[in-house]
Amino acid sequence: MSMNRTLYFKELKRNRKNTLIWTSIVVAFTFLILSIYPSFSQMGDQMTELMSSLPEEYARALGMDEGTWSSIIGFYSTYYGIYITLLMGIFTASTGATIVGKEERDGTAEFLLTRPMTRSTIVTTKFLALGTLLAVVYSTQTFFAVLGMNVFGDDVLWRHFVTMHVHGFVLVSFFTAAAVLFSSFLSPKLNYMGPVVGMIFGSFFLDAIAKATEQVSWLGYISPYHYLQLQAESGSLEVNWGSCIMLMILSLIMLKAGHARYLKRDIVG
Amino acid sequence: MNAIEFHSLSKFYGKHRGIEGIDFSVSKGEVFGFIGPNGAGKSTAIRTLLGLLHPSSGSASILGHDVVKEGVQARLKVGYLPSEVDFYPEMTSRELLEYHAGLYGIEKGEKRIEELAQYFELALDRPIDDLSYGNKKKCAIIQAVLHEPEVLILDEPTGGLDPFMQNRFFELLESLNKKGVTVFFSSHILSEIQRMCDRAAVIREGKITAIEDISSLLSKQMKKVRLVLKKETELSLPDGFQNHHSTGSKHNFDYVGPTEVLIRWLAEQDLIDVVLTEPDLESIFMNYYQR
Repeated sequence: MSMNRTLYFKELKRNRKNTLIWTSIVVAFTFLILSIYPSFSQMGDQMTELMSSLPEEYARALGMDEGTWSSIIGFYSTYYGIYITLLMGIFTASTGATIVGKEERDGTAEFLLTRPMTRSTIVTTKFLALGTLLAVVYSTQTFFAVLGMNVFGDDVLWRHFVTMHVHGFVLVSFFTAAAVLFSSFLSPKLNYMGPVVGMIFGSFFLDAIAKATEQVSWLGYISPYHYLQLQAESGSLEVNWGSCIMLMILSLIMLKAGHARYLKRDIVG
Repeated sequence: MNAIEFHSLSKFYGKHRGIEGIDFSVSKGEVFGFIGPNGAGKSTAIRTLLGLLHPSSGSASILGHDVVKEGVQARLKVGYLPSEVDFYPEMTSRELLEYHAGLYGIEKGEKRIEELAQYFELALDRPIDDLSYGNKKKCAIIQAVLHEPEVLILDEPTGGLDPFMQNRFFELLESLNKKGVTVFFSSHILSEIQRMCDRAAVIREGKITAIEDISSLLSKQMKKVRLVLKKETELSLPDGFQNHHSTGSKHNFDYVGPTEVLIRWLAEQDLIDVVLTEPDLESIFMNYYQR
């Protein structure tokens, strides 16, 4: 598998505006969450009281407990799990779903595939560009989250922060690879945003429902959120290396399968 | 070694036939026409040759390189002008052509891009999305020849070009052909084939129905006959007469056969006037289409 530098940089350039917009949204949201924490922390007792009045299942589904309001990392983890991984996942997965198929949809596949490169080189290069975009949005968000923690919080449990972000990265990578795979089976003329949002929100809510209702707790097993904890439970949050490795292997298998599908595809025009 | 070879090449879309058993070759330095009505399989053959479609059976090669197994080497020497021009709308023509040059590993293509843009009067710094179809076509022509290919594959190349630009394009093709470039020219405009090509293949319903020298096609003993008789009478037409139309005493038909037979037959008629003309290539190929 080789890559083509010209195509790689062109892909980055082509996606830069979208990446900038989504990264700005995620960073702004991260800073907004962290900036409101000091106000909430001052109402710590009231919030804890409010929490105890919520149905236990509801709080569990949203990943809230007493710890949510007593530390900046607890507060951040609630939003990181619900919003930030979803936003990053939607961006990278929708880009993954279209990065190859867009050429076919827009008719530019005829131009690209008649150049002196193998299809494998083209698809591999596009996947590498996709990985770069994912790394850009993920590392920028992480950088500003670290900055925000230092500005708005004290006594940050960095071990929890690292765990959340490792798990977040694995989840976002998994969703991106899944989007690449399903898009390789669908018509390039489809709008992939609906299926992408459905997949990510669906996974999140399946896990939330499974956590909230013991009778359907088995539903959690089909959601990747089930395997990677994004909030501390009873004060504990550790990197689950077993699940991380399993989901990363699954992601690589999905990328490889998507790659193989694109190699066999006929460009009918 | 031939420039292009098709060996029993077939492509099926499920049960639907695209092309079946295509088997011919194009010599190096030849200008070869590929003619057929819409939906005959011209584009399927070209797309399979360029690796856009996977053959169902058979094989094809360009300059000795199998288009499936050695597609990169084959495409390195090919310039392709598609019938429908779809480029990246956010790019300018210059960006597209520089991108194309980069993909071919051409480091200093700017001068050649400027020369070709000047020749075709193309504004290089306007976004492709803002260009007319004719200007997009000019950009497509430039990308097809920019990397100095040995084989040019042209699919309906003149669509969108005004007659002046068509002429410039043909002059460019003629000069490239003089330098040894092979041209595979797919078109349904027969006057273009007649002007440019040495030989042509006719494709119909996915199969090659004829491969002929253009000069031999034109020299076939087919005549268009227009005659006016003194009286309105029924004509008894012998073998070789086709497409007979009459209005009163005026008759029009095509004749394929020995000229002396035609002259002898005409001598027997009570004529006021007779006009014999050579058919154009279109009339000749219509015979193939109708077979």
